[in-house]
Amino acid sequence: MRVTRTFRTMSSLLLLAALAVPALSGVPTEQVKETTEKILEVVKDPALKGDDKAGERKRLIRVAADERFDWQEMARRSLGRHWRSLTDEEKEDFVALFSELIGHSYLAKIQGYTGEGVRYEDEKVDDKYGVVETTIVTSKGVDIPVLYRLKNKGAEGGALWLVYDVSIEGVSLVNNYRTQFKAILSKSSHDELVEKLKAKLPKDEECKTDDESSASADSQ
Amino acid sequence: MKILSALSLISITWIVCFATAALGEESETELVSSGSTLEEDPMDYEEEIEEDAISDPIESVNRVLFGFNDKLYFWVLKPVAVGYGKVLPEPARRGVRNFFSNVATPVRLVNCALQGNLKGAGIEVSRFAVNTTAGVAGFSDPAQKHHGWKKRREDFGQTLGRYGLGEAFYINWPILGPSNPRDTVGLVGDFFLDPVNYVFAHMPTRLGVKVYDKVNGTSLSIGAYEDLKEASIDPYVAVRDAYHQHRQYLVEDID
Repeated sequence: MRVTRTFRTMSSLLLLAALAVPALSGVPTEQVKETTEKILEVVKDPALKGDDKAGERKRLIRVAADERFDWQEMARRSLGRHWRSLTDEEKEDFVALFSELIGHSYLAKIQGYTGEGVRYEDEKVDDKYGVVETTIVTSKGVDIPVLYRLKNKGAEGGALWLVYDVSIEGVSLVNNYRTQFKAILSKSSHDELVEKLKAKLPKDEECKTDDESSASADSQ
Repeated sequence: MKILSALSLISITWIVCFATAALGEESETELVSSGSTLEEDPMDYEEEIEEDAISDPIESVNRVLFGFNDKLYFWVLKPVAVGYGKVLPEPARRGVRNFFSNVATPVRLVNCALQGNLKGAGIEVSRFAVNTTAGVAGFSDPAQKHHGWKKRREDFGQTLGRYGLGEAFYINWPILGPSNPRDTVGLVGDFFLDPVNYVFAHMPTRLGVKVYDKVNGTSLSIGAYEDLKEASIDPYVAVRDAYHQHRQYLVEDID
């Protein structure tokens, strides 16, 4: 396993150096790794430990995640058919809200990670779409399989692999939220869904939605 | 006695088969990965995923039971598990979990074999041999640490899934939690395979042992349920969907 991974890392580096054409195998994994390592660095950095640094850590993790996660794509897929019925402003607001929710619920939890790191198991690429399979090694001796679905949004010949779904132990984040949102939208309106999402976010967080008149101006 | 149990198990399976065909709309649980691994145009994706959710005809009942389980967790199971966790250090509790897991080897072994996964069955045998001896009655897991033999996650519900039985619809049992007709039959089947149920034939003792196992297991994952609740807009639906996706994943996952 380790031999394969080293070989793949080496070969993808060589390919990158040669300014290769589309479908560079290994590039999705490399880009996921880049982001994961950035985030883990923040988590493990001794200079960023402590409660007083919590805001800074959260910010840095969010910056790293923003480089790799395609929030728009995730938010759109989580709404399914309903997305098409929204106005542009509603779409924008929803994407911001959704990314805040994920950031708050998941990225914040990463800070508790004390394990041994991530293993990059496998990668599949088909034209613009890719899948990277990883295993998160926890300190409790449990291995958690995490799978990233990515789409190459780079310009012609370039490679910018962005995540549009994460599956943990086979449970897709986007699908899980989609089922929840669908259930809520079958009984209530889009605005009510938005209200429920907002209720989930802590009040002191920087709100990116435009219609939150109270928070956004002061939180800078 | 055993033959009667086996016969009743088979007849239950058949009854469930017909019941599920009648009751539930079949959810699209194909044996091969439903939905491609690599996504096509989002338009196709939307149509395809619309069919993938599990049907929930008894949702109102399930929600009540979900609420019951929620209270049971916060009022009983969690306080007991937290208290227990303060008394026994984590490595010891992990040892206990390993012990119970080792004892339940026949469940995984038999189900691997039933699915034609002889390699997995063989690994389970090897794991049992190594962990029971070098692992001191199963408290430790040298089979994984030193040999890299990972535990296979297999149960009778998955075996039935492999043979084509769909989940049919969602059931949220009190205490036992999320399930469906197929996996419930699976639990019954595995009951006959788990040595704990033979060693502790006396019901109260067996119940005590099972409760201890549950408390110990919970003490090692305090916070997981809370995190899920916090991350979800509708925890009931989140759990239902996560269970469905996870079971699908386990059925398809063969090693």
